[in-house]
Amino acid sequence: MSRENILTGAIGEEMAANFLKRIGYRIIERNFRTKFGEIDIVAKIGAVFVFVEVKTRLSSSLGPPLLSVTKRKEEKIIKNALIYLNRHNQDDAYWRIDIVSVKLNNDSGTDSIELIENAVCDA
Amino acid sequence: MGIDAYEVGVETDMGSGLPGVNIVGLPDMAIKESKDRIRAAIKNSGFSFPSKKITINLAPADIRKEGAWLDLPIALSILCSEGLIEPSAVTDMVFCGELSLDGKLKPMKGVLPIAMSIRTMGKNKLLLPHENSKEAATVNDISVYGLNSLKETVDFLNRKIEISPREPIEYYEFKKNVRHRMDFSDVKGQEHVKRGLEVAASGGHNVLLIGPPGSGKSMLAKRLVTVLSEMTLTESLETSKIHSVAGLISPNKCLITARPFRSPHHTISYAALVGGGTNPAPGEISLAHNGVLFLDELPEFKRDALEVLRQPLEEGRITISRISDTLTYPCKFMLVAAMNPCPCGYFTDPKRQCRCTPFQIQRYLSKISGPLLDRIDIHIEVPRLNLETITEKRRGESSESIRKRVDSARAIQKDRYKNDGILFNAHLESKELERYCLFDKESEELLKLAILELGISARAYDKILRISRTIADLEGSATIEAHHVSEAISYRSLDRNLWG
Repeated sequence: MSRENILTGAIGEEMAANFLKRIGYRIIERNFRTKFGEIDIVAKIGAVFVFVEVKTRLSSSLGPPLLSVTKRKEEKIIKNALIYLNRHNQDDAYWRIDIVSVKLNNDSGTDSIELIENAVCDA
Repeated sequence: MGIDAYEVGVETDMGSGLPGVNIVGLPDMAIKESKDRIRAAIKNSGFSFPSKKITINLAPADIRKEGAWLDLPIALSILCSEGLIEPSAVTDMVFCGELSLDGKLKPMKGVLPIAMSIRTMGKNKLLLPHENSKEAATVNDISVYGLNSLKETVDFLNRKIEISPREPIEYYEFKKNVRHRMDFSDVKGQEHVKRGLEVAASGGHNVLLIGPPGSGKSMLAKRLVTVLSEMTLTESLETSKIHSVAGLISPNKCLITARPFRSPHHTISYAALVGGGTNPAPGEISLAHNGVLFLDELPEFKRDALEVLRQPLEEGRITISRISDTLTYPCKFMLVAAMNPCPCGYFTDPKRQCRCTPFQIQRYLSKISGPLLDRIDIHIEVPRLNLETITEKRRGESSESIRKRVDSARAIQKDRYKNDGILFNAHLESKELERYCLFDKESEELLKLAILELGISARAYDKILRISRTIADLEGSATIEAHHVSEAISYRSLDRNLWG
């Protein structure tokens, strides 16, 4: 992964976190990492845990950011989410997975952020 | 299931876990897909779909459920667990209906059997799609509510809006609409055939019409339903149930009040005739329940299609076994078959020469097996009409006046057989024949003569007795007289070995 991509990701996550705070999410943890992978943002709305995956793109040439969350990635997030809940003794809590897609625009400086609630569903 | 409804209880659990919907309790594909319809319908009705792990159970868990009609109950069950509907509001109610993505309710088939079984489930209110409410309202001891959308249903259950139950529809209201487009007076000449059909209608005998092309076999057969006595409420409900399950009831016709006349094409498969499919659906013979099944060009039917008729003709019901179910559908019908006397059709025609070889004729006739022929009491030859009869202006006797005679003959039989569990002379067995067919001296002589001279078999003898009994009933005569017997013998043309 190039330095540039990592930087893009970090900027996107920062923007996403600010955006979520603005609309009422309580951010609990950033970059929760296990050996299965990473959850970008762990937040809470009321009693519901929300695990957020952030996807950032510089241009739309590779398609919308949402499309790059594959089945494999979804499974990783689910596994991580369960580990997180288990470690915090919250096995019975309600939880869901959201995706935030961030489009950065170098030229015009207008970035767009989109939140997809409940993006990952069981079947 | 089949033509009887069963109750399905829908339970919903909201649990923690990855949000999603899981339906258990042997659902079929239509029900598995319903979760996407329900999700959209709930969202588009202005409610939020819970992002929880939802488990839906359809009880009893061991019966396979099919069809989209569980959409509404499942959606309501989800909304109920979300607290959007008071659970006490839905007790003693039964729901059914398919949802569209925008939350509207779509009509379904098989409503009548459901409505009829509400009472036995111990409930008294039925909520279903508006289009189906008229059909359900024919069941008078329950309240039927017709609804247009999921939103409307929820508002109704929460008492936000008032919907009055549909007015029960009395049976006689349907009945007064019974009009036959056809009448026996349309048929010119053929008095012998008409009389034969009258006898058949009175005694419930199956009929075989034999005649050259264009002699009016189909025309006569189609008019047979117009002389059958009117359907009773029970008969109407039985037949309607079958049609309802088959999805053949249109929103404004609800109850079948005219006796059905089914005339399947001779290419029909045996499964379409008696019923079949993975989840067995009723076939033509069941759709003809309490009516007439007309098989035109009898020898052209596939052999296996004809052979499967044997048992249903005897028993009045058909049991279909498939991997998923074993179902029994009623099929008490009158069989009317028509055929040509030979492959070219002109064997009995006085004007045209028949071009068939004896072997061809033999083969043609042998397509109808003995056992099937055995179940057809009356064989009538339909002759070609001559010019005078065709151009004649005088109209024949109307169906109405024939039906009056049929009605009285049926009433006599009903009264006579009230302790025997049969309805018609056609169902008489030899023991009963002895008891009920009393001859006078003259007719006994005639019968003996017929056996000797015409070479009538023992089996045909029984049939002649049955037909004579019906003819005597038509005249209101208690004993069978000579002219009854001679008329009966005239309806056995196949016994007289005209062919081959």
